[in-house]
Amino acid sequence: MPTKEGRKETFQNLLMPELGALFRTALRMTRNREDAEDLTQETIAKAFAAFDRFEEGTNFRAWIFKILTNTFINNYYRVREKQKLPSLDEMEEETAFQPAFEGATPEETLLNTLTREDIVKAIESIPLEFRAVVVLTLVEGFSYKETAEILDIPIGTVMSRLHRGRKLLQRALWEYSNKKYRERENGREWTARKS
Amino acid sequence: MDCQEVVEKMYLYLDHEILTEEERREFEKHLEMCRQCCKRYEFERALWLLIRQNGLGEAIPETLLHRIENVIAQF
Repeated sequence: MPTKEGRKETFQNLLMPELGALFRTALRMTRNREDAEDLTQETIAKAFAAFDRFEEGTNFRAWIFKILTNTFINNYYRVREKQKLPSLDEMEEETAFQPAFEGATPEETLLNTLTREDIVKAIESIPLEFRAVVVLTLVEGFSYKETAEILDIPIGTVMSRLHRGRKLLQRALWEYSNKKYRERENGREWTARKS
Repeated sequence: MDCQEVVEKMYLYLDHEILTEEERREFEKHLEMCRQCCKRYEFERALWLLIRQNGLGEAIPETLLHRIENVIAQF
């Protein structure tokens, strides 16, 4: 039987490499820094309290992320945050306009105009059920199987939510890129009219 | 593997999921031959990298680190 200090040390050694990822994920889930800090702290306290039940040698990262997502859903997620979802047809429609700057393809234009702020905003604009899957797999690099375990959903659901999540994310990013293009074009017209 | 199959399996390939060795090789062979699929793949890959890099860059606030140290000290 390990001593209390030994247990604490093992816990800390496993926890430290995951701290950044836990805070980031908390931030993308809660979408505000204050709640994200509280959620990270609460997750760590809960994980240590349950650490006796953690089997050494199994996936600590997936285990503590499961505690994080459960704590978020139980204590931080409010029904009022539930967002209306556009239909797949609406999504196709909105992404139809793909502007391009001179000499570049629409895709290159998109990739070159997006900022970190745009990407974070786009991730946070997706409804939670899709956002959770996008953040865990695309950003944090969990496999579909691990994501299914963390969120307690079938692997097929992970795949369909990820597919939809990617579409929603791309839709938001094209929108930001289009807006920047229009602003630039308007700016140009304005300069041309003045001269 | 034809274009439709490549498009269907593109995300699985990007996410390092499920494809068998043989499927992987066929996927790559198709990309070498088909300019359109290759361009689409390059775009999806670049976008995915951009999302990942930007999603990852987030420092832990000092205040949170202190709070965590305090929580652990009480264990």
